[in-house]
Amino acid sequence: MDMNIEYFNLPFTTLTGLYTGIILTAIFSVIFLPFLRKEWKGYTALLAVFINAAISSFIAIHALPGESVEQTYYGGNVFGNIPVCVDGLSAWFILIINFTCLTGVLYGIGYMKSYEEQKRNSSLHWILFVLFHLSMLAVCVLQNGLAFLIAWELMSITSMLLVIFEHYRAETLKAGINYLVQMHIGVAFLSIAFIWVYFSEGSFDFAGIAAFFIHQRPVWPFFLFFIGFGIKAGFIPLHTWLPHAHPAAPSHVSGVMSGVIVKMGIYGILRMVLYLNTDLIRIGESILILSVLTAFYGILNAAVHRDVKRMLAYCTIENIGIIGMGIGIGLIGKGIHNQYLMLIGFAGALLHALNHSLYKSLLFFTAGNIYQQTHTRDMEQLGGLIKKMPVTALLFLCGALAIGGLPPFNGFVSEFLIYSGLIEGIRFGGGAQFSSVMVLCIAALAIVGGISILTFSKTFGTVFLGSPRVVLTHQPKEVSLAMQIPLYLILFIMVMIGIFPGIFFDTALSIASQMSGTISVLPEVMPGISPVIVTVGRVSLLLVLLIAITYFVRTKISSARTITVQPTWGCGYVAPNSRMQYTSKSFSKTFAKLFSYITTEKKKYFEIAGSKIFPLPRNFQSHYHEFFEKNFIGPVNNRIFAFMNYFMFINNGNLQMYVLYGFFFIVILLVATFFNLL
Amino acid sequence: MSIVSFLLIIFTSLFFTGIVIRTKSIFSGRKGPGFFQPLKDIRRLFRKGAVYSKTTSFIFQIAPSIYFASVLMAIFMVPFGNQPGIISFQGDFIFFAYALALGKFFIIISALDTGSSFEGMGASREALYSLLVEPAFFILMGSFALLTGHTSFYEIFGSLHFGSYISYGEGTLAAIVLVFIALIENSRMPVDDPKTHLELTMVHEVMILDNSGFDLGLILYSTNLKFAMYGALIANFFLTPGYEWYYSLPIFIGVQIVFAVIVGTVESFMARFRMNHNPQYIFMLTSISLLIFIGVLILKKFV
Repeated sequence: MDMNIEYFNLPFTTLTGLYTGIILTAIFSVIFLPFLRKEWKGYTALLAVFINAAISSFIAIHALPGESVEQTYYGGNVFGNIPVCVDGLSAWFILIINFTCLTGVLYGIGYMKSYEEQKRNSSLHWILFVLFHLSMLAVCVLQNGLAFLIAWELMSITSMLLVIFEHYRAETLKAGINYLVQMHIGVAFLSIAFIWVYFSEGSFDFAGIAAFFIHQRPVWPFFLFFIGFGIKAGFIPLHTWLPHAHPAAPSHVSGVMSGVIVKMGIYGILRMVLYLNTDLIRIGESILILSVLTAFYGILNAAVHRDVKRMLAYCTIENIGIIGMGIGIGLIGKGIHNQYLMLIGFAGALLHALNHSLYKSLLFFTAGNIYQQTHTRDMEQLGGLIKKMPVTALLFLCGALAIGGLPPFNGFVSEFLIYSGLIEGIRFGGGAQFSSVMVLCIAALAIVGGISILTFSKTFGTVFLGSPRVVLTHQPKEVSLAMQIPLYLILFIMVMIGIFPGIFFDTALSIASQMSGTISVLPEVMPGISPVIVTVGRVSLLLVLLIAITYFVRTKISSARTITVQPTWGCGYVAPNSRMQYTSKSFSKTFAKLFSYITTEKKKYFEIAGSKIFPLPRNFQSHYHEFFEKNFIGPVNNRIFAFMNYFMFINNGNLQMYVLYGFFFIVILLVATFFNLL
Repeated sequence: MSIVSFLLIIFTSLFFTGIVIRTKSIFSGRKGPGFFQPLKDIRRLFRKGAVYSKTTSFIFQIAPSIYFASVLMAIFMVPFGNQPGIISFQGDFIFFAYALALGKFFIIISALDTGSSFEGMGASREALYSLLVEPAFFILMGSFALLTGHTSFYEIFGSLHFGSYISYGEGTLAAIVLVFIALIENSRMPVDDPKTHLELTMVHEVMILDNSGFDLGLILYSTNLKFAMYGALIANFFLTPGYEWYYSLPIFIGVQIVFAVIVGTVESFMARFRMNHNPQYIFMLTSISLLIFIGVLILKKFV
């Protein structure tokens, strides 16, 4: 490694120049975007994101092998020194952000075509997108608590404004405000945590956190950080913003949000985990158990919901759970000094974060295709789209297979790692305690995998297969090539990871070994894992070949036989119609009933009275409650509202009264000073 | 030599359903079809033309091939006593389960592709029951990973040896769990009745109502293969190391025959459960595998 330092060390001035370049690009695009012609706005945003992505990726690729690129700037008295540091962990997330944002903009240009006429709205949208990308990059590199919080806040606000693009719709606005409020609850926790560290260490520097965690018991401060970051990531019970915000946002925004914003929470947690060196087992087990519950809860809700994008949002929660499991396994491994367990856990988490950002953005973009062509997100209104939109169908299918963790796609590789970690934990966990926890986790992960297969076979089946359930006013057709290209790009990377996981895994592994903290990783531990992953890729390839051979033989043989095309066999019934198909609701109904204490169903209908001989048309409504909203957040909210009602007289809408309040305030201040109370 | 288990599984798959059918006809006092009737049926299907539904797309055409290939892939990983399978690596049983899941995914969506309400119903049930089976298999394999300290089929079975009463109990319970898993995965009694005549009460059969010709043949033969594959897994519990091939070969064949007879017996004397009892029944497997896990904890002197 010594030889490489010379090569990787970027000089101070170059680095400052690069950072300035990133910021200037963003500023220029913010200033000039509104004055451009409407069709150029998207391309300009693309150019800005591309320049920023190129510069930051250049730095990130330098830092990826383990040499962190570090630079300290003086931020005045308030901030103190601001270290701008790109280490392996940041570099990994920067690359994820760049790829997802680039494909997001590319897709967004096509997707936003129909909104082009809203000139001011779309200028603002593209400006925000550039800023949003910039703020996420800043979150990854700033290592000063205060500066970090500012970047974090900028990220929350820009993404919230991106969500409410269709602000003229009441439910979109509501989702946006919900998101904003929850993000600020998170920021409050983060601020408390950073201030706590500041008072103890006298600095906002992240290095202070490391010192703080060494001579303090880290459980409570870590708990604060975990809540702050966990709200962004969507661990239960902090997840309630996701199912509202994702469906409300334009599809390319939901893709990027689910792909990377949520990962910023994971980044934050991993960053804090990096500084942990005591109480590892307790924190690790807590994260592992919470993550298992998150994964299970997320996929359970995904299985029953019928709004495509809401279903995908719940699936994001599931995947955050799986990533969290990796983090938990890694921490336990670090705690019991099992290096193999630690590496496989952290590497699994990192790789799953990458994989999830790929297939989730692919799925959200294809959901955008569906929405653009049919103007509905309700699965029960769709059906048979595979004939009208074959490319979208195929891409969605690949995404569905990947998210179900099925070979030969990338989702399998990272789930395989998590499984291997759990098996390793059962095997050498060091006692009944770890073995039992891990065995329950493996059972839960298996059932989560099963439910995700049910969820995605249901979604793909109802949306794309069968025949259309409703006659649409506009016949859907395949989306433009411009919207397909980013999807193919994502698919390409997905297949690469699925078949040739070695290079991606080795990178994740080297980052995981940097996360070991005080425990040094023995060089002979690492090589043992990689060959297995390479084998997994090869076996996946073999599976593809086997399928291809079988299909080839089958087609060869059956092409010689007579083939007839007939209506579907109706079991003797000769007048079936498309409304009789199995719906997504009916597909998951039996399953939902099994877990009816979590997925409570609300029905609205009237029984037919016996006296009615000729019943009139009637309504039947059914939907599933969100467990946490109904049982915890809702009641608490109502209490708060009821209590706040008593103070409504203060907020009475009269300007004079508000001026009077100001006057009162000044009087109180004066009196207080007079009596020396302050 | 690692191809032995593959060849043996293919070989036993030819007779498996024949034995099941013979057992059933003997128990019910019928003359019954011949030993090779199931094979002849499949061969006949391979030669037939096909009827496709107007509603279907390419998914329907490709799904049976994927289903078949996924079962083959899973068979590649099954060892035979001291011989590893064609493919063997650390954590291969995870791939085993997920390859089978891939096939299942496609067969489910191909049922939905027909747009038939009956086939949708079957698909929904199949998805539900197979997801409920998953934890049992993983707990079982996790327990044996703990017991033997290895993480691949071959190494686990290769280093498995029974010494105490508890370990015999473990082996028996594991065999029972695998028999149940095989019955559920192949949609046999008591979860599903393959011979029922009412579509509303079917699970697997109703999913493949629209398949015909070569595709149907592939699906039916995959069922045979799956039976033989699970039979081979069960046989591995009894092929403890140190046996020469002239012991292990008869043991393997013997276990397969006993397994087939058990399937036939169960189908002769049991009625299918009510659909809403099935989940409970399948969850029972998870609890048995947890018992196995606790047994392993005792064996390892953790408790």
